[in-house]
This record gives sequence, C-alpha cells and structure tokens, in this order.
Amino acid sequence: MKRTVFLLTALFFFSFFSFSAASAQVQVRIRVILASNVGQAIDPSLNDVHKELGSLFNFTSYRLLRDEPMNLVPNRTVTVQGRRPGRFMEVTLIGLHRDNAQLRMKVIREGVDLLNTQVRLSPGRTVLIGGPRYGEGVVLFAVSSRF
Amino acid sequence: MKNSCSSVSTLLEKYFDQEVTEEERFLVEGHLQDCPGCRDALSSMEELRTLIKAPVEEVVGKEDFPWVWQKIEREIRLEKKRTWWSSLRSWLAATPLFRRKVWIPAVATLVVLLLITAQVILKKTPSSQGVSVVEYLESPAYNVMVYQPEEPNVTVIWLFEGPEEEQRTT
Amino acid sequence: MISRCQQGDQEALREIFDKYHKKVYRIAYGVVRQREEALDVVQEVFIKLFRSVKDFKGRSHFYTYLYRMAMNTAIDHRRKAGKQFISSLDEEGSFEPSDEAEKGPERILLQKELEEKVKLAMDKLPDEQKAALIFRDVEGLSYQEMAEAMGCSIGTVMSRLHYGRKRMQESLKDYIKLHGKGRGASTVSEG
Repeated sequence: MKRTVFLLTALFFFSFFSFSAASAQVQVRIRVILASNVGQAIDPSLNDVHKELGSLFNFTSYRLLRDEPMNLVPNRTVTVQGRRPGRFMEVTLIGLHRDNAQLRMKVIREGVDLLNTQVRLSPGRTVLIGGPRYGEGVVLFAVSSRF
Repeated sequence: MKNSCSSVSTLLEKYFDQEVTEEERFLVEGHLQDCPGCRDALSSMEELRTLIKAPVEEVVGKEDFPWVWQKIEREIRLEKKRTWWSSLRSWLAATPLFRRKVWIPAVATLVVLLLITAQVILKKTPSSQGVSVVEYLESPAYNVMVYQPEEPNVTVIWLFEGPEEEQRTT
Repeated sequence: MISRCQQGDQEALREIFDKYHKKVYRIAYGVVRQREEALDVVQEVFIKLFRSVKDFKGRSHFYTYLYRMAMNTAIDHRRKAGKQFISSLDEEGSFEPSDEAEKGPERILLQKELEEKVKLAMDKLPDEQKAALIFRDVEGLSYQEMAEAMGCSIGTVMSRLHYGRKRMQESLKDYIKLHGKGRGASTVSEG
C-alpha cells in the first residue's frame, strides 16, 4: 500500500513537469542558399541575414533556393529536399527546454550521411551549415528557430 | 510510353519492395505489361537480390552454431560483477532501519523536497542566452569546422570537400 | 523477457538468443561474408546486448534495436578485417572463367568467383547503403522497420536502397548479365 502511494506521488510530479514538454512544438525556418562569386546579386528575401553573411563569408552573390518554415514536434523528422535528386536535409526536434531547442540535423547525399549533428538552438540564433559544392558556388543551410 | 516510363520508374523500386499502395501497384503492373525496359529493370533488381541473399541463406541453413551460447555465457560470467545497486539492496535488506515501511515514505518526502528545491535553483541560475551549442558532430566524408563568434548571432558548421569531391560535384 | 534481461537474468538472455541468433547471424554474414567472423559477431552482439540492454527504453521495437546493434558490430568487424580479406583473395589468385560452364567443377568455381565479386562490391559500399541492402534484401525488413533500425526517415531508407542498388548493379553488371543468361524464368521477388 505504502509503495503504491510512493509510486503514485512520484508519477504525479513527473507527469506534471513532463506535460509541457510532451505537447510542445517549435517553429523552425530552414533556408537553402546558393553562395557564389558569380555576379553581385543578393536575393531580397535574404536582406535580414545579408549583414551576417557578409561578415562571415567573402561571396559576392547569395541566392535563395528554398525557404521552408515548419513546426517541429518532438521525435518527428522533417525533410528538406535539395536541388538534385538524392540530396536533402533531415531535421528532428529531440528536446525542447525553456530557452533552447535541441535539434538533430543530417545532410544526406545519395544515401550517405555527409553530416550528422546535434545542436541546442536558442531563439534568434541561426545555425549555418555550408560547404557542399553546387555548380559555381556552395550550398548553405540556414536554420533558425522561434518558440 | 516515355511519359509512362518516367512516372513509373520512380515507383518501380517501391513495387519491387512491395511497399506500394493498391493504386500504385495497378499503375505499375499495367505499365509492365507493355514495357520490356521496365521489366528488364525489375529483373535486374531481382537478380541482384538473389546474388546478395542466396549465399547468406545457404550458409545460415547449414549452420549449427557450435558452442556460441556457451562462449557467451562464459564471457558474461567472467566479467560479471556485483553492481552497486545489488550491493546496496543486500545491505538494505540486512539493516532493520531500512525496512520498506520506513524508507519508502522517507524517500517520497525527499523526492518532493528535491523537486521543489530544483525549481528554486533553476530560477536563480540563468541559462545561457542566445547561444547555439554544437553537442554532437560526425562527418565520415568531410573535414568539419565549427565557428561560433559572439557577433553575429550565427553558428557556422563548415564541411570541407576533398579535391575528388570537388571534381565530382562541379 | 526483455525486462528480465534488463535486470540481469541470464536465462532471459538465453531466450532472446534462441529467438534471434539466426537473424543476427544472417545480418552478420550479409556484411562480413565469412563464417568464422560472422559467428564472432553473433557472440559479440549478445554480450554487448547483455551489457547495454538496460539502456533500451522501449521507444522502438526490441528487434530493430537488436538489428541495429548487429549491423554496427558487423560493420566494425568488417572494417578491421577489410585488408585481410583483400589479401586472402590475392592468395587464391585470379580465376579465368571457362567457356564450358556446364561442367560441374567449373560451375562451382564460377559461382565462387561471383560470390567473391559480390563481397568486394558490398565492401566498397558506404556503410549506410550496405546496411540498407542487407536489412531489405537479406532480412526482408519493411521500410518502416528499416527506418527504426537505422535511425532515419523512410525517405532516407529509400534513397540508401536506390543508390546502394545502383552501385551494386554497376559493379556487377557483367556478372548479372552472364548469370541471367544461364537461368530460367526468375521467381517472383518476396517481400
């Protein structure tokens, strides 16, 4: 009897605190950008990050290839397709804390994981994954969150 | 025919793996009746599966797993140590003070107090603001660099392709 | 059975072994393609399982958890033994296929050569594509089960299968044609 009371008490407190995490979701925005030195155009939809990109890289041109806002729920993977078949990015919300979201991200090409990473992302902060070559430039994945 | 082939070719592997819906199966089977190219492609997949699977099945069928379980058992016995929990349990069982009707309510009270205290501690300790932390990173194919400046508010993960990859992708 | 094993019950491990050892062996042999090595992998997998099963939280099916462990262990073994395998092939020497393929001994040797080629082609595959082919074509897992075992989405599973098959067909294209000519109507592929 006493053990049952103890277990029920523990269960009550743990379920109380886990409730908000279970029903949580986070808004994430994933932008796929082609950065190159061909021309000097900056896509107008990238004005909000132009300054940051300019301070980090020496590319003269930034073109937005995809813009995917999405709501992530815990442990459900979403996929952002690349420009070529067999290339895409997977994002999974692993955990949601008071001031950051834990995301697992994979960049995949032809069934092979080019990158497998797990980050804690705070609101207003962007994670930029770059490097894979595409045509005359490189592809950047800009991932930011809001919750 | 060409248009049908291009739309069916994306379903052919799913059909081969029996992962298609009824509607997709109908579409593929209808197309296969008239398209030797797609039938050949399907045959190739079957042939490949046989090449991969047949040797395995042949070997598994003949295998009698001599002494495998005995080796596993011996290995576990050799490395088996009493865990701290089983040591604690036997100690607790031996001590009258730690009988269930005494320690269960005590532990329950302790848990409740800890949970309340944790709330206070967490409130007092501000977590880091506006910081992305790369907790885990793996790239079998590339060298990777992580760059996290104070300003701007961006964490960069950069993949460095080798010269072979550069030639392949440009 | 699993919760008893998590509490250190060796009898429960024996029950799990009896139920799954053939499947684990199939996965191991699919990767390493050598009997002794595959048996070592099976042994290692169940010892690892006994050590780590308490970390199994039940978020996935137990068998996909076990299959993932089997695949990772087999791939690690293969990676370490890779160079040894190539040198043993050199020791056996290259084989020139005979025109008289109908003769018994030559047919067997042709078959052996083909198996060696399949092993080499599998070894060249990236680990993820190799795992996808073995889970699907050897073990017969569904896409959903594969996604669980490999810790990825169904889309990634399909991509890995597609590119893995493409590479294997490219590596074995001459052998697939030769092999196909000698066979009758192929059987319907199983799920």
